Amino acid sequence: MRPFTYTQAKTIQEALTASANNTEAKYLGGGTNLVDLMKEDVERPSQIIEVADLDFDTITSNDTGGFTLGAMLSNSETANHPDIRKNYPLLSMAMLSAATAQIRNMATNGGNLLQRTRCPYFFEASMPCNKREPGSGCGALEGANAKHAIFGWSESCVATHPSDMCVALAALGATVILQKPDRTSRTIEFTDFHRLPGEQPEKDNTILPGEIITAIDLTQPKFKTNYHYLKIRERSSYAFALISVAAGLKIFGGMITDIGLAMGGVAHKPWKLTKAEAFLTGKMPTTANFEQAAKLALKDAKILSENEYKVTMGKKAIVRALEQALAKTA
Amino acid sequence: MDTDISIGTGNPIDRVEGRLKVMGLAKYASEFNVKNLAYAQGINSTIAKGTITAIDTSEAEKQKGVIKILTYKNADKLKHYEEELPAISTSSIQPVLQNADVHYYGEYVGLVIAETFEQAQYAASLVKYTYSEKKPDIDFDSSRGKAYKPTEKSDYSRGNIMQGMAEADVTLEQTYNTPIEHHHPMELHAIIASWNNGDVQAYASQQIIDDATITIADTFQIEKKNVRVIAPFVGGGFGSKLHAKQHVILGVMASKQIGRPVQMTVTRNQMFTNTNLRQRNEQKIQVGAKSDGSLTALSHDTLSHTSTYEEFQESCGTVTKMLYKTPNNKVTHRLMPMNLQTPFAMRAPGEATGSFALESAMDEMAWKLKMDPVDFRVKNDTQVDPSSDKPFSSRLLNECLKIGAEEFGWKNRPQEPGTKEEGNWLVGYGVSGASRRAPYQKTSAKVILELKDTKVRATIQMDATDIGTGSYTIIAQTASEYLNISVSQIDVELGDSDFPKTPGSGGSWGAASFSNGARAACENALTALEEKSGLKAADAGIAKMMQAGNLNLFEAEGTAEPDEEFKKHSVFSFGANFTEVWVDKDTGVFRIKRMLNVASCGKILNPKTAFGQIIGGCAMGAGMAIAEQTKVEPNYGNFITRSFADYHVPVNLDMANIDVIFLPEEDKIANKMGIKGVGELGITSVAASIANAIFNATGKRMRDLPITPEKLIVAQKEPELLNW
Ligand SMILES: Cc1cc2nc3c(=O)[nH]c(=O)nc-3n(C[C@H](O)[C@H](O)[C@H](O)COP(=O)(O)OP(=O)(O)OC[C@H]3O[C@@H](n4cnc5c(N)ncnc54)[C@H](O)[C@@H]3O)c2cc1C
Ligand code: SF4
Repeated sequence: MRPFTYTQAKTIQEALTASANNTEAKYLGGGTNLVDLMKEDVERPSQIIEVADLDFDTITSNDTGGFTLGAMLSNSETANHPDIRKNYPLLSMAMLSAATAQIRNMATNGGNLLQRTRCPYFFEASMPCNKREPGSGCGALEGANAKHAIFGWSESCVATHPSDMCVALAALGATVILQKPDRTSRTIEFTDFHRLPGEQPEKDNTILPGEIITAIDLTQPKFKTNYHYLKIRERSSYAFALISVAAGLKIFGGMITDIGLAMGGVAHKPWKLTKAEAFLTGKMPTTANFEQAAKLALKDAKILSENEYKVTMGKKAIVRALEQALAKTA
Repeated sequence: MDTDISIGTGNPIDRVEGRLKVMGLAKYASEFNVKNLAYAQGINSTIAKGTITAIDTSEAEKQKGVIKILTYKNADKLKHYEEELPAISTSSIQPVLQNADVHYYGEYVGLVIAETFEQAQYAASLVKYTYSEKKPDIDFDSSRGKAYKPTEKSDYSRGNIMQGMAEADVTLEQTYNTPIEHHHPMELHAIIASWNNGDVQAYASQQIIDDATITIADTFQIEKKNVRVIAPFVGGGFGSKLHAKQHVILGVMASKQIGRPVQMTVTRNQMFTNTNLRQRNEQKIQVGAKSDGSLTALSHDTLSHTSTYEEFQESCGTVTKMLYKTPNNKVTHRLMPMNLQTPFAMRAPGEATGSFALESAMDEMAWKLKMDPVDFRVKNDTQVDPSSDKPFSSRLLNECLKIGAEEFGWKNRPQEPGTKEEGNWLVGYGVSGASRRAPYQKTSAKVILELKDTKVRATIQMDATDIGTGSYTIIAQTASEYLNISVSQIDVELGDSDFPKTPGSGGSWGAASFSNGARAACENALTALEEKSGLKAADAGIAKMMQAGNLNLFEAEGTAEPDEEFKKHSVFSFGANFTEVWVDKDTGVFRIKRMLNVASCGKILNPKTAFGQIIGGCAMGAGMAIAEQTKVEPNYGNFITRSFADYHVPVNLDMANIDVIFLPEEDKIANKMGIKGVGELGITSVAASIANAIFNATGKRMRDLPITPEKLIVAQKEPELLNW
């Protein structure tokens, strides 16, 4: 590992100042992603500024009738918090499907949003990878790409975003709150937070240099009864999703009156299934309709040499997640 | 006294070294406190084939703490391989850093020695290599043209396979694939080496002490007596630590060059590239049978790869030669030199992979014959090894199958695939038979008896290793049995080349060899004491004999080795595995619900440690079936699975409850104590049992390991089942 200096920020001002003074500095949350990547010589900060102990570590109710999640709170504390379990069980379920208990205890909510792709070319410093080294090429495009994207990819990058939490947030709708280096804050709609690779795969998201995520705002409680997070993976724990689906339904008078549907493991960002959502809104929650919606959702899929299975798996996963969500009323 | 479980073998006593391990006092290779230690970090090539044209060490040399950087330019000249591919199982040298050639991605091309581990690692990342790159042979399919027959022994046949197939009423020809796997013991490979005026002392994590000693001596062309290797505790090996790897040589070389002791630990990432692997095997099986189920033909052709500089053949066909009665049999093995590191024995080499192919094919045949797969196997039992015409010393395969079927509730198995449902799940049962050679090798041991205030303490010394298997415990139990004193009066000292020679741990020979070696030493001690004291051991006991002989300290050595009876027989352990799986109807997800392993492996010295070996084997077999796979990058030849985040082994949630039944047995032909190997039987054919259960659940035949959701979701049912 390269030598680096370590700064323990006591206040957010201290963190912002330290970062403003060093463009090669990185914030440290739980370190479960950043430190791994430093060991691989992929991330090369000359300074790490620990933000995990800053005060943004609570869950509070906000004025939209929803709740605000502190960015420095751990994934475990968030997922197991009574207010989250009760009001956003879909989020809780998704978060608890991630990684292992040990990693969830360390990982912070802010870090989870910013975790980087698991693409093996990105991790191996000697391989071509536009995300790690812009202009070096994309090793996965014509290489080992079984775990890569089927939506929204570009020739310059076909990677996926690995987070489970983010898939649930995309289905629920949320707002990311950032503190800028000039100490003002700004907000970004969750679905606009992560980006597609386009010509700039080195940019995973829309955060700007020096900004700190302080919180994630959720609006009023949603899908408290009919929800399901389905994660298909190569082993039952401690594995990233091949495909995941976050599904939330609101049923009224035998009709779907509100729906949140998003997929993980398929794109450079959590993939909100807007067409399927629109199709199902106002319809009856039948298997036939779910299958139609799934077909619609996968219609635009663009496969790579090794990931055709994701199309079949994606359809099946959408139908199953919706069925499971529906079954929760009965 | 006969209820005292602290005396003798066969009792489920706790590990004698367990306390040390739990307290962190059991020292592994890299934990020895050696003064003035420096640290070495290997540098790995970033191309798969070519030559180094330039090396820039300037940046690395400037770093704090760096003592020396070794490359092929300044490395010691070592004994080198001859031009021809040397067979790794017989070669005892491990040359490294001898020239500018690169044979595979990740090969060692340099070494940084520094004051601290961190300094060495960082400086290693700063050494810059320029290569002249050639197109590597990394693609299995396009290497087929280079396949060759490694030795005459690679092929075997009896009868006539074509005729056997022609005589059959039902035939099958299928190909089964197993991927590259890695051993990944918990303890990383490591060495602390001290070169002292031509004398070498090495704390090294090795399975076979004597082998490591020879490798160091021969590679540096020094006398074996000048080399001492020590490994009191080894944190697993699974075959990867049978032979000394290049880091052992690099550690010694580093110490020689800087005149200080050097520690070299292989990183987890380097465990993929520098400690061998289990190679990919493509296995073609042909089976022919009469409609009553009797086999008429069985053939097994294996294609795999070796490196371009060493040769290793995993004998997948072993099991097909001997497991079932069939007059016509053919086995072949072919290798393709590729730009990948040399494969080497991994737990149950040949059997684990070969039995996946054979036992899958047997299941396919049973289905075609409309026979129960248990009955089909029982029908083709043989008490004589058809490949050698020697009788088996004991063979209880049929008993394993029948008792297992009864205990498992095999009768509840759905006869037709895909017909047993539980909600969204399809339920299936699978079975497989298993065999694993039970070798036993020449082993010596020393016993030291001390008498203090009428109490005897015995110390057993041998260069055997305990790789987590329980060697300390079973050796203590054996000594306790033959000396007729409590296990608590016995100390066992292992893992030092100064102790009497053993074959070390591997190939399931450890338990039988070590125990019989310890037995021989104890028996010799008693005979000598009887002579000296004029008393009978059985009446007087050791303490009285020593008193009568006026002895406070007495030593004896003994050696045990296979006798004529052993050589006249074919000696194998046998077993059967039963698995229940639940497969999701739609998503490709599946779970192993329960597993039963019935094992017939001679006398069980300690049911607790033996149970650990079998369930560990089953878990590893499940890993082979559903998870483990090292993927080669198709364009560059590196491994894309490079940490435990992407090289998957099963987690607890994936695993079933595993029940184990040991059939009571003592095989006195195998050896005097009736012991056979247990370490590799557990893994053998578990993968087939799982794949067969998946077929029973879904009608889908999974012939390529590992079986993953992405494969299962696109797999089709067998053609004859499609209309169901
Ligand atoms: C083996 C393994 C398996 C895993 N499996 C899963 C899985 O199945 N599903 C899943 O969703 N995740 C999984 N994870 C990923 C895990 O969820 C993330 O590593 C974790 O959420 C990252 O959080 P962290 O606080 O540790 O981030 P860090 O590693 O500390 O930081 C990550 C990035 O975010 C930046 N950062 C951190 N906090 C802030 C902040 N407040 N403001 C601005 N920038 C910040 C850092 O500078 C860094 O660039 C796995 C991880 C591992 C190692
Ligand atoms: S997919 Fe993206 S992350 Fe992976 S190699 Fe291509 S550019 Fe790099």
